Amino acid sequence: MKKQWYRLDNAALIFPAVMRRNWNNVFRVSVTLKDKVDPEVLTRAAEDLLPRFPTIFVRLKTGFFWYYLETVGEAPKAEEDYAWPLTPMTRRKLKKCCVRILYYQNRIAVEFFHSVTDGTGGMAFLQNLAARYLTLKEGVEIPPEGNILDPAEKPKAEEARDCFQLCAAKASVTRAEENAYRLRGNPEEDLFRHIVTGVVPTETLLEKAHAEGVTVTAWLAAVMAEAVLARQKEDPLAGRRRHIKITVPVNLRKTFGLNTLRNFTLAVNIGFDPWLGEYSHSEICRLMHHQLAAETIPQKMAGRVATNVNLQRSLLLRLIPLPVKTLAMRLVYALSGESKGCLNISNMGVVKLPEAMAPYVERFDFIIGVQYSYPNNCSVVSWQGKTYISMIRGIRDSELERLFFSGLVEKGIPVDIESNRR
Amino acid sequence: MYCVYCGVRLQEGAAECPLCHTKVTAEPLPRQAETSSYSEKYPQAEKHAGKYLVIGLVTIILAAAALSCLIFCLKSKGEVSWSGIAALGMALGWVWVVLPFLFPRWRPMIFLPVDFACLGGYLLYICGSTGGNWFLSFAFPVTAIAAVLTLAGVAMMRYIVQGRLRLMSLLVIAIGLSFMLVEFFQHITFGTPMFVWSLYCVSVFCLIGLFLFIASFIPSLRATLRRKFFF
Repeated sequence: MKKQWYRLDNAALIFPAVMRRNWNNVFRVSVTLKDKVDPEVLTRAAEDLLPRFPTIFVRLKTGFFWYYLETVGEAPKAEEDYAWPLTPMTRRKLKKCCVRILYYQNRIAVEFFHSVTDGTGGMAFLQNLAARYLTLKEGVEIPPEGNILDPAEKPKAEEARDCFQLCAAKASVTRAEENAYRLRGNPEEDLFRHIVTGVVPTETLLEKAHAEGVTVTAWLAAVMAEAVLARQKEDPLAGRRRHIKITVPVNLRKTFGLNTLRNFTLAVNIGFDPWLGEYSHSEICRLMHHQLAAETIPQKMAGRVATNVNLQRSLLLRLIPLPVKTLAMRLVYALSGESKGCLNISNMGVVKLPEAMAPYVERFDFIIGVQYSYPNNCSVVSWQGKTYISMIRGIRDSELERLFFSGLVEKGIPVDIESNRR
Repeated sequence: MYCVYCGVRLQEGAAECPLCHTKVTAEPLPRQAETSSYSEKYPQAEKHAGKYLVIGLVTIILAAAALSCLIFCLKSKGEVSWSGIAALGMALGWVWVVLPFLFPRWRPMIFLPVDFACLGGYLLYICGSTGGNWFLSFAFPVTAIAAVLTLAGVAMMRYIVQGRLRLMSLLVIAIGLSFMLVEFFQHITFGTPMFVWSLYCVSVFCLIGLFLFIASFIPSLRATLRRKFFF
């Protein structure tokens, strides 16, 4: 197969520049089936999808001015999962393939370097992988509908496009905003990642959110903000006035009606200033909801996309050699990249599958890695009446998770807890 | 099975709550083996071989460059003149940059005195080979001052935990004052006028040092400095 190469999309540019030996921006989507996973069949399924998903099976390459992605000749083999998700994807591994396919008992997991795609693109690929696996293993005929694509057809040009370039506004919007409180703790020295998943009934979650007149994402962000606020009050080092802000990645596919398998999300920070006084739960819910609504209008999003795209288009910046550009990006990222939010809440929403495939699937999970400077993150996905809230942390202290999940219990939501405790 | 403290339902067979670490004490019930969502497999640390290969290559390149300088100089001039300075410069670069990588840990309190001693020796060679008379009255004391200040800074950062900012402020003032000493040695060696440029350096460094010294007594300012300049 002839090797193809792709420029990194606008959102993907920062990730290779700021990655370290022990940290980079990776995320995982996984599906748990009803039966044990056969690794050989899984590898074969991945091989079958290789020509259909050229933008997913890629490796990271270094150019003189920019990084770029190049298609790989063969799909990565399915490996057994590790004791924790999102083990480091080092530069050496990224030069081989930016995607990792893992299995453990009934679960198929795919981990992506964020330059390849975002959560939505990753979930679409996982569903296709699971569909192909079920076809090979169980002989299930799964029609190409929704996210499921026909593996025999040629990849469409729109799947590989950088949609940021298409939706940028004429004018840009400033990125200046208040710094947020920084969560901290004693890091795990061997890079162990604790993962605590709370399984909650989607119906109850929706009821609680609708009772406040807000969306589920805004409601969860409000409960999380309350947990972070409690942490800030306990923190002896949090002397300065810092806002409580939650970063919410927004899927721009719906906002702009464009579809792609590359990155097409933009994060917004929503929160409040705790120094102005006490807030009730309802007030925080309303604050989160209205800020999210105001920040995610297409015009504002297009303006923010324009800010990033204009930088990428600048002739001066384009002509600077990659090592210098990398240094500059690292510096900017270190100074302001992660200081505007306390942690992420990435809500994938409800997963939909073709009817023929659904009976074989037990559950879905979605996990995003921790950032370099903030040690906690949270991701959410719903499937068949259950919502899976995964909280990851790179530190020993589980206080934030306790505050968040016991906060859900206090508000009348039953929570089943699972973890990968050492 | 629920956690009595957090109110969340735990995994079958869990020994403790993963959130608050409260132990499960349901003794009368038969305890099942804890079901885990993850395997026991730990990722292997990636080996970064190639370290000695790079050291070897750099050493060979430097040695080849030094040797070719010496041969070229000997052939053209019949003696070791400029090539000695160039070759020793490369040896000095090797000691400063490559030598620490040969050891598993960089121990600054051992390496830095060695580095400065080598620098002193190199300057002595240049002074002798060029027939200069500036080593004892200028190069030696300036190198010694730089060595003492660097070692003091490194020792402070590595071994002192309490009152670091106050000590750093004193060090900054000392660096400022050392410029006056440098200009003094410049005056007695080369006969340049006293205290011209060094006064600018002294005033800037003393102002920064004074600011840090005052900041060390104000907790909020100290916290701001720590937040802005942590590394």
